[in-house]
Amino acid sequence: MTLRLIISYFLMITGSAFAIVTVLGLLRFPDVYTRIHAGAVVLTISAVLVTMGTAIYVWDLFLSAKIVLIGIFFLFSNPMATHAIARASYKRQIALPEEYEIDAYSDYLGRDA
Amino acid sequence: MNKLMKKIMISVVLTGVAFALYQNFSLMPEYQGLNEGLSNYIIKSGLNDTGSLNLITAVLYDYRAFDSLGESTVIFGAVSGIVLILSRKMLPVSSKGLSFIVKRALGIMTPFIALFGFYVITHGHLTPGGGFQGGVILAAISIIFSIVYGSAFDYRRYSPQTKTLFETGGALTFLGLGLAGILMEGAFLQNLGFLTAETGTLISAGSIPYINIGVGFKVGAGLAIIFYSMIQKTFEEDF
Repeated sequence: MTLRLIISYFLMITGSAFAIVTVLGLLRFPDVYTRIHAGAVVLTISAVLVTMGTAIYVWDLFLSAKIVLIGIFFLFSNPMATHAIARASYKRQIALPEEYEIDAYSDYLGRDA
Repeated sequence: MNKLMKKIMISVVLTGVAFALYQNFSLMPEYQGLNEGLSNYIIKSGLNDTGSLNLITAVLYDYRAFDSLGESTVIFGAVSGIVLILSRKMLPVSSKGLSFIVKRALGIMTPFIALFGFYVITHGHLTPGGGFQGGVILAAISIIFSIVYGSAFDYRRYSPQTKTLFETGGALTFLGLGLAGILMEGAFLQNLGFLTAETGTLISAGSIPYINIGVGFKVGAGLAIIFYSMIQKTFEEDF
């Protein structure tokens, strides 16, 4: 009983710490792609951890299943949206590609419609 | 002489309307002070009267159902006006859609969005939500199709004729339930008594769930029609 609460609090606090790291990354990173990277990777695991902690906290079969579904939704939607934003900002040249030494994405352009 | 006849007719009609209004007005309860007004009555006996656990839905589709009919008529008028002004024969292909990853990921997620929309519509009398909110979620699916898969995709699957059919079907469901209320219970949009079941189940609360489904289809199809009338050939390139 109390062990379940401790586990859920641990998961939620870890997720909140990852969210704080996300905000730090969004504020401190120099340009658009590194900021997108912070938002994609760290925010996804933060949301998934918070939803897992909430699912363990309520501990009811159907309610927990719904919350886990929300977590899976985050797992799909956040990287997808970040990918769309990064691709659009590359094509619109928000940050100029000439500023970077390595531009691996230009090799792949035009292959997927 | 003709003018006199017209005046007499008008005064007869006005007297009849005044008599009918007085009849209805005399049926209203006495003024009971601000503390014991209508809201207390609805909170106390709303569940017994309608069988709907969500009191807001009980007010929207039972006590004030005529008002909701007016609201959906407003949406119908807005859709008609926008389509009349902005419609064009051929739909322009505005974009090819987003990248392959976004298309496949939304292919996984779209059934869940549709399921959530139908859940919000059909559980409108049990949980927060209802026809208007769920209809907006269903319209968002159509808008997502247009942005992600290109505007021709949704046009080919669900043509504007199909959407118009959905919208008029929803409005006709609402009106038909209102006329059934006249025939079976004695007043327009009265809650149908024979449809009630045990409180808290999915098919309870009289005609409220069916009105919710009608309003949901009507709002969703109407907003999708508005969106497809308003998109222009603005973004050529694909991102």
